[in-house]
Amino acid sequence: MSPGTRVAGHSLPRLDAPGKVTGTAVYAADFALPGMLYGKVFRSGQPHARLVRLDTARAEAVAGVRAIVTAADAADIRYGAAVRDEPVFASDVVRYVGQPVAAVAAVTPEAAEAALAAIEAMYEPRPPVLDLAAALAPGAPLVHEAWRSYTAIPILQRDGNVCNRARIVVGDVERGWVEADRIFEHRFTTAMVHQGYTEPRAAVAAWDSSGQVTVWSNTQLPFDVQATLADILGVLPSKVRIIVPGVGGGFGGKLRIGVEHFAAMLARKSGRPVKVMTTSEEELTAAYPRQGTVIELKTGVTRDGRLTARQGRIYFDTGAFAGSGPGVASVATMVLAGPYRTPNLHLEGYAVYTNKTNCGSYRAPSGPQANFAVESQMDIIADALGIDPLELRLRNIVREGDEGPTGQVLSAVGLEECLRRAADAIGWTERRPGPGRGKGLACGWWTTTGGSSGVYVKINPDGTVTLNTGAVEIGTAALTGAAQVLAEALGVDLSDITIVSGDTFSTPFDFGAQGSRTAFAVGNACRAAAAELQRKLFALAAPQLGTAEETLELRDKHVVGPAGRVSLAELARQSQATGGGMIAHGTFIAPGTPYDTKRVEGHVYPAFHSPSFHAHAVDLSVDTETGEVTIHKYVVAQDVGFALNPTYIEGQIEGGVAQGLGQTLSEEIVYRDGRVLNANLTDYKMPTTLDVPRIESILVEHPGRVGPFGAKGVGEPPNVEPPAAVANAIASAVGARVTSLPITAEKIVLGHLREVADGAR
Amino acid sequence: MPKIPIALTINGEPHEVLVEPDRTLLDVLRSDLGLTGTKTNCLDAECGVCTVLVDGLAVNSCLYLAVVATGRAITTIEGLASAGGLHPLQAAFVEHGAVQCGYCIPGMILSAKAYLDEHPHPSELQIREALAGNLCRCTGYQKIVDAVLAAARRMAATAVAS
Repeated sequence: MSPGTRVAGHSLPRLDAPGKVTGTAVYAADFALPGMLYGKVFRSGQPHARLVRLDTARAEAVAGVRAIVTAADAADIRYGAAVRDEPVFASDVVRYVGQPVAAVAAVTPEAAEAALAAIEAMYEPRPPVLDLAAALAPGAPLVHEAWRSYTAIPILQRDGNVCNRARIVVGDVERGWVEADRIFEHRFTTAMVHQGYTEPRAAVAAWDSSGQVTVWSNTQLPFDVQATLADILGVLPSKVRIIVPGVGGGFGGKLRIGVEHFAAMLARKSGRPVKVMTTSEEELTAAYPRQGTVIELKTGVTRDGRLTARQGRIYFDTGAFAGSGPGVASVATMVLAGPYRTPNLHLEGYAVYTNKTNCGSYRAPSGPQANFAVESQMDIIADALGIDPLELRLRNIVREGDEGPTGQVLSAVGLEECLRRAADAIGWTERRPGPGRGKGLACGWWTTTGGSSGVYVKINPDGTVTLNTGAVEIGTAALTGAAQVLAEALGVDLSDITIVSGDTFSTPFDFGAQGSRTAFAVGNACRAAAAELQRKLFALAAPQLGTAEETLELRDKHVVGPAGRVSLAELARQSQATGGGMIAHGTFIAPGTPYDTKRVEGHVYPAFHSPSFHAHAVDLSVDTETGEVTIHKYVVAQDVGFALNPTYIEGQIEGGVAQGLGQTLSEEIVYRDGRVLNANLTDYKMPTTLDVPRIESILVEHPGRVGPFGAKGVGEPPNVEPPAAVANAIASAVGARVTSLPITAEKIVLGHLREVADGAR
Repeated sequence: MPKIPIALTINGEPHEVLVEPDRTLLDVLRSDLGLTGTKTNCLDAECGVCTVLVDGLAVNSCLYLAVVATGRAITTIEGLASAGGLHPLQAAFVEHGAVQCGYCIPGMILSAKAYLDEHPHPSELQIREALAGNLCRCTGYQKIVDAVLAAARRMAATAVAS
């Protein structure tokens, strides 16, 4: 609660809540048009094969089928955010089980399914590349023989199955090893996991007579999808309108084009609106999950626990196409450095092709994996040196004015406060309160992604305010947060504001719902628009109030002068009569963060903008017979800069931890021989009400220089630390150090048995 | 498959629809009647977003045949609020910040209603058990459980008062 503000900083209910609790909010999955057909995708059944024959004749004859599209109907282009390596449909080679080969539109979903069953595909299998080791082995088969011919971001370091190697080099690790008293080397692995949004990816496409296509989609990035779809359809972006109704969760999984292109192509060919929506099986076999990783980490320390050098390599299994891999590999090197002062660093992130589904971005991409390795190893080091893990961290953490790994100067560093408060909250002084019970800590840092945001803000003749933004509300309440910034600046109530969002034709550009940026960036654009509106309102009001503009202020829905006031409603009415309405355009672009360009190579994310710092602490028990973990207390202390809406920040923390606990303890997309074994929500185990403990949130506020009121990005960070915090607590409880995610009951029991055996020797 | 006429009572209103006998209640609610407050996802009774009440019991409408619902009272999320305003569960979800993306919320609220109608003084654990079939990926469930506890208290107090 912020005493200096009326609206910003207060726990007010989100603006879209009533529609969501009454069932009137419309999501993309709910959207329908008269005469609409249903589209389904025919997918590869082979991990790597030549497609020798594709016959859709029998499928065309299925009753109710109205259109079938294949590579023959698609432009001969490849798309992709970092490497343009992905075709719309496989034509000659299929590269993963689940790759789209054709799509069907029919009058019912059942008819479309029947048509899929009638499509005949013949394959000539090729040797598949099934995991990272196979992909990186000398002489490994290439997932993309023509990789050199693909267009890519020029700075990427590509080589065969490696679609980027990002690197940070600082100082000289060899010198660091010499300065070290102890050197620790460990290997960690993490599994592929899915974002688990409850609304499937969905799109409805319809063409009009002018050759324009409108797609109602639940994408997080409508402007990105507009551009990609225009490419795929071979039309100008101005002929592609993306409208985003409600979005039932995204977490990064709905950033890039998902099913919009299938709906649009089927709609064009059939002349009817077409809806395409994924199944759970498609989500778990052919979406954009988080990459599985292998991490090698070598760290040198002095006897008193000072870090002297770190060498780290993290390999991302990015699947058949680069997807987000090249960028995620870059971000990972920032996380591998940890929020620590380390004079010598040699950190590499590799994005590696395999014959699996194309991985993408998932809340804090690379964060949980890299942090799991870094923070697990910090505890191993602490134990080996006989230093308390909290103390070891406090001796090494970055502080105000320190350099980040690439030389950026850090400010508003609230890390020590986060660590101390999280540790205090779980009673850190007693780390092993009883048999089978232990406490663990992990800390980290994360970025607030930049990019530009535009808003139009209009004051209506009844004094209410319309906020028109190209951003998308994916559930975080970030747009309510931005509206709170706007209400604060205009002197109106939050409930006076109506939000119009996510329409590439009628809303201003926004970089999209990604990277914890929406409240931060749209909030700042709102401040800019409010400043412009204030200028216009004061110019209009000053003569009426018989005073100079400098004496005016915006307060209580009025322009207030020394000797009188006039309402915003009245001024908006006057503007409608004479000036075309009271409207302003506000924009924001996050300022660049200076860094040392000589330290990086192949790096597409070389600085963390307005970084946030955080610490998680957990108190848990382990049943050494069953391996079952019971969490007694979970505490998050997160430096949010300024808590725009404490309730929804707690919601981000609680949800981020719950998702993190799933990745930590139970979730894994299990591949065998290139096929997913658990493509359903019973065998892909996401946490339920009975699995997630109460989570205590401590909101630390070290205001940043850029965000509205000093706010930093809050959505992704809570997902970073759970794996390491829990792994450390388990090790503390029963001595079992599990270095692979998920930390299943089996791994805990086996680890414990090993500990017991080691102890007996 | 030949269609058969069925009579459904949804949120107190009679509806006559012509459906194939293998159509699910979820499909009929959403596609035939436009009641999209009931959500669709896994279609395998694993996630709970499709939860509706049939004669007061929470069911996964994705596996519940529409024909079986004939003659029974069906309640969907659209039927919960009254002219007097939001149902206490809906109000509590808004007040406690229990809603994020909101896609699981209709099912969550209806599962909670079915439980509270039978158990007006639940413990937190009982609420968690009652909602264990409804997946939410946004909230970590904490504010949802808090909202249901608060609504239970309010509903119990109202029941005593009347």
